[in-house]
Amino acid sequence: MYSDSHQPDASPGASDYLSADHEGSSGITRLLHRVAQQDRKAFAELYEATAPKLLATVLRILKDRTWADDVIHDTYVKVWHKANQFDAERSSPITWLAAIARHGAIDELRRHPARRETASDELDSIADHSPTAHEQISDQQTVKHLNHCIDQLEKDRQDMVRLAYLNGWSRDQLAKHFDQPINTVKTWLHRALKQIKRCLEP
Amino acid sequence: MNERDDLDMLVAEFVLGTLPKEERDALQARRAREPELEALIQQWEARLAGMLDGVEPVEPGPELFARIQRTIDQKTDQHYAAPEARSAAPDNVVSLRKQLTRWRWSTAIASAAALVLVAVLATQPEPDPQAQSFVAVFQHNDEQPAFLLTVDLTSRQLNIQPVTAEPQPDKSYQLWMVAEEYGPNPRSVGVIGENFTLDQAALRDYDPETLRGATFGISLEPKGGSPTGQPTGPAIHGFLYPTSADQGKGRN
Repeated sequence: MYSDSHQPDASPGASDYLSADHEGSSGITRLLHRVAQQDRKAFAELYEATAPKLLATVLRILKDRTWADDVIHDTYVKVWHKANQFDAERSSPITWLAAIARHGAIDELRRHPARRETASDELDSIADHSPTAHEQISDQQTVKHLNHCIDQLEKDRQDMVRLAYLNGWSRDQLAKHFDQPINTVKTWLHRALKQIKRCLEP
Repeated sequence: MNERDDLDMLVAEFVLGTLPKEERDALQARRAREPELEALIQQWEARLAGMLDGVEPVEPGPELFARIQRTIDQKTDQHYAAPEARSAAPDNVVSLRKQLTRWRWSTAIASAAALVLVAVLATQPEPDPQAQSFVAVFQHNDEQPAFLLTVDLTSRQLNIQPVTAEPQPDKSYQLWMVAEEYGPNPRSVGVIGENFTLDQAALRDYDPETLRGATFGISLEPKGGSPTGQPTGPAIHGFLYPTSADQGKGRN
């Protein structure tokens, strides 16, 4: 049984890319292959199709529009130069793109932690998912499966995983928020990640 | 726990984002040369990416993609221009640097000594000796040009285009010119209006030869222009450069 309490809302466009066999995903893959050939038109299409999702991902971590714009700028400059490194056998295209953007944002945040004030409503924002938008989307198995696995964790650990992944929280921030020693946080995270991995195995 | 598990957890925490900065940087440095590590990273990215499904897309501003394209254009230009610049236009580049070294922009520019000018050479397939079009690039730093100024010496028409420069609230950009004929102090060519417009005929009273040897500067001034008749704000400067490499050689 899946619990719907953590099913996030999403636009159809955003979710298409997450599953490798979906038409939206192969469209993005084709665009990436053309970008690797330095096709500017394909690059513009790729940007149009993916930038809103990437910007939202980065903005959620950095909480500052100018800062997020800079990371998106760097992300797409990287994509232009590194599109030939994308391997459709190993990665879905949106996962590959989002990883570049997310890691760019987390690197920035670790370099300049003071630039971002911790927003008090972050816990709300991870719990406040509406399942309604999902009903229109046909292929959501991957997302559902992951959410199901995360929902198997203890509540604190669910929040830790989501705050870290989605909001860019460091071990230190998690330790403060959950009032635990850093080593305990590390142990919890490792247990949670192993549990997720086991749960996702076929 | 065996080594394999340790590595798997290191990668998992890297992808999750909680790996401390030093370990994170070290891991990123390794990934390019360790395919096995890269594969583990991709696996964890794939496992966790589903969480992003809940992130509601945010439409980027209209300017962002243009900025990305400009960066790419510039990197591409540098990439292609570097070897050619050495073989086809070394004299031009040297001459430009000499002009910059020689250049003194009163005291206002002294504070802006770190500003660098980089010329973008636009070449024509068949240079027309009659063509008298010149371009200057005003650059904030070594990243992106701020303005492009083109001057047609024959008609003495000018055209200024912002590249990365953006309107500043309650400020005006002002275009200046320094020419030997007029002494060491900059002369105002005009205040650049909103939407980056400037009277195209602002140079009509100047001799083409004077313009050819002049240096141009743009400073950020209080709204409406400098109150003193001299640049008061931070200045960026550019030197007129012919759009044909052959014309440039005549300058040396």
